[in-house]
Amino acid sequence: MIHFDNVTKVYPSQNRPALQHVNVAIEKGEFLFLVGPSGSGKSTFLRLVLKEERPSQGHVHVAGKDLSRLSNWKVPHLRRRIGCVFQDFRLLPNKNVFENVAFALEVIGKPRRFIGKVVPEVIDLVGLEGKAHRMPDELSGGEQQRVAIARAFVNRPMILLADEPTGNIDPATSIGIMKVLDRINRTGTTVVMATHDAAIVDAFRKRVVELEDGRVVRDQSRGVYGQAY
Amino acid sequence: MRAQFVLQEIWIGLRRNMTMTISLVITVAIAMALFGTGLLLRKQVDESKSYWYDKIEVSIFLCAKTSSNDSCQKRDVTPEERDALKTQLEKMPQVSSVQYENKQQAYARFKDRFASSPGFVQSTREGDIPDSFRVKLKKPEEYKAVAQAMLGQKGVDTVINEQEILKKFFRILNGLQFAALLIALIQVVAAVLLVGNTVRLSAFNRRRETGIMRLVGASNTYIQMPFILEGAIAGLLGGLIASVLLVFSKMFLVDRLANDLQIVSKLGWSIVILVIILSICFGVLLCALSSFLTLRRYLRI
Repeated sequence: MIHFDNVTKVYPSQNRPALQHVNVAIEKGEFLFLVGPSGSGKSTFLRLVLKEERPSQGHVHVAGKDLSRLSNWKVPHLRRRIGCVFQDFRLLPNKNVFENVAFALEVIGKPRRFIGKVVPEVIDLVGLEGKAHRMPDELSGGEQQRVAIARAFVNRPMILLADEPTGNIDPATSIGIMKVLDRINRTGTTVVMATHDAAIVDAFRKRVVELEDGRVVRDQSRGVYGQAY
Repeated sequence: MRAQFVLQEIWIGLRRNMTMTISLVITVAIAMALFGTGLLLRKQVDESKSYWYDKIEVSIFLCAKTSSNDSCQKRDVTPEERDALKTQLEKMPQVSSVQYENKQQAYARFKDRFASSPGFVQSTREGDIPDSFRVKLKKPEEYKAVAQAMLGQKGVDTVINEQEILKKFFRILNGLQFAALLIALIQVVAAVLLVGNTVRLSAFNRRRETGIMRLVGASNTYIQMPFILEGAIAGLLGGLIASVLLVFSKMFLVDRLANDLQIVSKLGWSIVILVIILSICFGVLLCALSSFLTLRRYLRI
């Protein structure tokens, strides 16, 4: 589903590469934790999958397509098949829960009847039954993140990228968020989650890829956060 | 593309940028009004030219006792001199027709032409206007050749080219037209810069929305459309205000000028409507295009 083939990324203003010779293959339906300290290249990894950045060297393949050969006007179609969740939720404060989720479908031109059917289903899936008409500032952090996940998943993407989704949320609430991501993973969606949260990684026992200074230092199935000695 | 969604986004954008939008509308309105006025004046000049050039004549006044010209030696032109001049004129290749007008005819025509100013007519007596040849030229520009051939001939007092009188009027109109178009050009530059600023503000105000749109895979057209339409709507509003201003400028500038200078040909309203349509289209295109171009700088795709 996602293949990194000897990828190096150097940002123009920095001499130290953000990623160096990264080779990772993520298969369809996998759940993968991307761990490592701040600045180790986790976000760059995710941005390369979205084609927000181009690799300086090597190739990124997503869903069998080489992204360096994907023309710019096709990039929106790539992004429609990838959902994204961030630490800061990125909800629109002037829209309620339903409208925030519906926004993702409106802007890709889906018909209103379809939106009216699909959005409530996804809101239920992430565990926000009955809260469709709340505004974001009336929700807790965990609930806001559920809205963001609903928005990322509403178009049924093949891949869900989550950049520290529990970074702003207390541990108890984080478990709930992880359950939602796990539920989404069980529908066959590939989930890649970048995180600092050792407790979560240890509790879930999924594949772990650890980055340090832009290099893959560990790739372990059913891994834990820290090095297992 | 869902129209309701796009319209809603445009409305939000315009409302958030209200003061910017107002200044943009005013600038576009003035620019387009001046542009249109320039076009109307141009049209007026063209129409007056073709109207007058058909009627334009070179008058060759013949010697009379009252003439102050030394070459006339204080005596009337003799019939022989007159006939010689006439044959010479008729032979010239530039001349299309020659008509002789004696004092009585000239006075009658004068009375007729200035019937609206009786004082002027009363102070003039029959005989004040000398005999003349009224010469029509094939091309009005070829006046010089005729004038040079005639001046200094026996019996010729003065040669007057009516074109010279009209030139003054055309100079005024051309000057006005130039001024209008120049100010319009400056305003157009201001409008383009204002569109740039408005789009930048608008893109900044809506960076959350556009960021999410990009992320969920909205197409570039979908992301850009509200901004471009925002510009186009501001251009349209400006154009509509400009069309009102253009109606005023037709009534109070172009028509009044034509009246004051006794120009018979007035511009029709159909021309004004054409100019209005042209100005509105130009305004809309100008704003839409400049917002499209500035978007490329301020909106990451």
